[in-house]
Amino acid sequence: MFFSIDPNNGIAIYEQIVRQVKFAVADGVLIPGQLLPSVRTLSVQLAINPNTVAKAFQILQTEGVCESLRGRGLAIRSDAVVQCNQARRTLLVERLRSAISEALHGGLSTKEVRRLMLDQLGLLDGNVATVASPVGSVADESEPA
Amino acid sequence: MNDAIKIHGIEMHYRGCDALRGIDLSVAPGTVMAILGENGAGKTTLIRIMTGFQKPSKGTCSILGLDPTVADQVLELRKRIGYVSDSPALYDWMTIGEIGWFASSFYPEGFKDRYQEFIARYDLPAGRKIKQLSKGQRSKVALSLALAHDPELLILDEPTSGLDPIVRREFLESMISVAATGRTVFLSSHQISEIERVADTIAILHKGKVQLVGPLADLKESIALVTVSLSDPLIALADLPEPSRILAEITEGRQKQLIVQGDGDEAAAYWREATGVLGAQSRSASLEELFVACTRGDSIYKRVTEPSNPSTLEAGKS
Repeated sequence: MFFSIDPNNGIAIYEQIVRQVKFAVADGVLIPGQLLPSVRTLSVQLAINPNTVAKAFQILQTEGVCESLRGRGLAIRSDAVVQCNQARRTLLVERLRSAISEALHGGLSTKEVRRLMLDQLGLLDGNVATVASPVGSVADESEPA
Repeated sequence: MNDAIKIHGIEMHYRGCDALRGIDLSVAPGTVMAILGENGAGKTTLIRIMTGFQKPSKGTCSILGLDPTVADQVLELRKRIGYVSDSPALYDWMTIGEIGWFASSFYPEGFKDRYQEFIARYDLPAGRKIKQLSKGQRSKVALSLALAHDPELLILDEPTSGLDPIVRREFLESMISVAATGRTVFLSSHQISEIERVADTIAILHKGKVQLVGPLADLKESIALVTVSLSDPLIALADLPEPSRILAEITEGRQKQLIVQGDGDEAAAYWREATGVLGAQSRSASLEELFVACTRGDSIYKRVTEPSNPSTLEAGKS
């Protein structure tokens, strides 16, 4: 997989690596059983301090996204996909919340915000390509009035 | 664990100029320490003292356990460190191959072979004379010479200034390779984006003193940029309750921008309650903003955190 690291966007570099690995698993770019590159290889490839990469890998291990395969390195766990989907969903909710918050802070009423969101949804529905394993796999809840 | 570098109370006084006015630094082995400073802040002077090319006016310095002011020890030290400066001094009339052969006489067996590996990796033609090389190629020769004896400590004094992005990237990758094998790297640089990628610990040097030092990750997490909008530019803001504090402050029109050590959101919330404040927002400060704050305007000496022992390389190492 390819990483896209931006030291300047306010998110700690190790956190960017963690998120991107999780998204890659959710997207099917990284599959269960696949090995992650070694700390050394990845740190040179990304031109990032190896301790930062090690920290990201430690977090991924602790959170059960990957596990140590004796003598080979870290491999993605088979039960990681569900978890990574969940992580992606959480992040999307956060972003949505941030956008709504900004709209409300800017002076829009709840009614206006809801209308804008439904408008946008109407424009986008059916026009956006979905990833391999979409987040909304649970039965959709009924729309609020 | 013994520190790879231990600098205590180093001062350097010239007639008419105090280059260093009391430097304290320690660098744990296996970490990358970057010092930032404007031109003339004293970075090169410090490095010259560390490598034994200059005796300090005051203070002590221990590099890999050796004292660079003592003749026997400094020779031993130079065998164990690799040094690259911003304008490497090489014998122009020698070829790339010849200078490697020449340098190999100062080091143990194996230097020549490893040097050959490096110049091959960096695409350097062994038969070309040094005076015919581009700036980037010269720097790569200097880097090859510095790495060929597998030094425990790599000291780089603005090695990539004036070099193109590709060469800079190659330097960055070598620094990281060195760090990944548990060696220590001491880097003086202006390239803030590179430092953000590669450093474990940073120190900001200004006017001959260390203004800020600490692990980069902790620094970034604990420093915020708070922008406060006021109804009137004459309104003053109260100092923050402990343990947070203001590191620097700039006023522009009816807005103040403050670099805060502590929780930025809490600081913004605190000031939002004050009289005359229309709004306050917080975001994380970039290293560049931090650097500018420490070297301009109301900068105050602030030690953020003590450089802690580095976390050992764990998961994924194969």
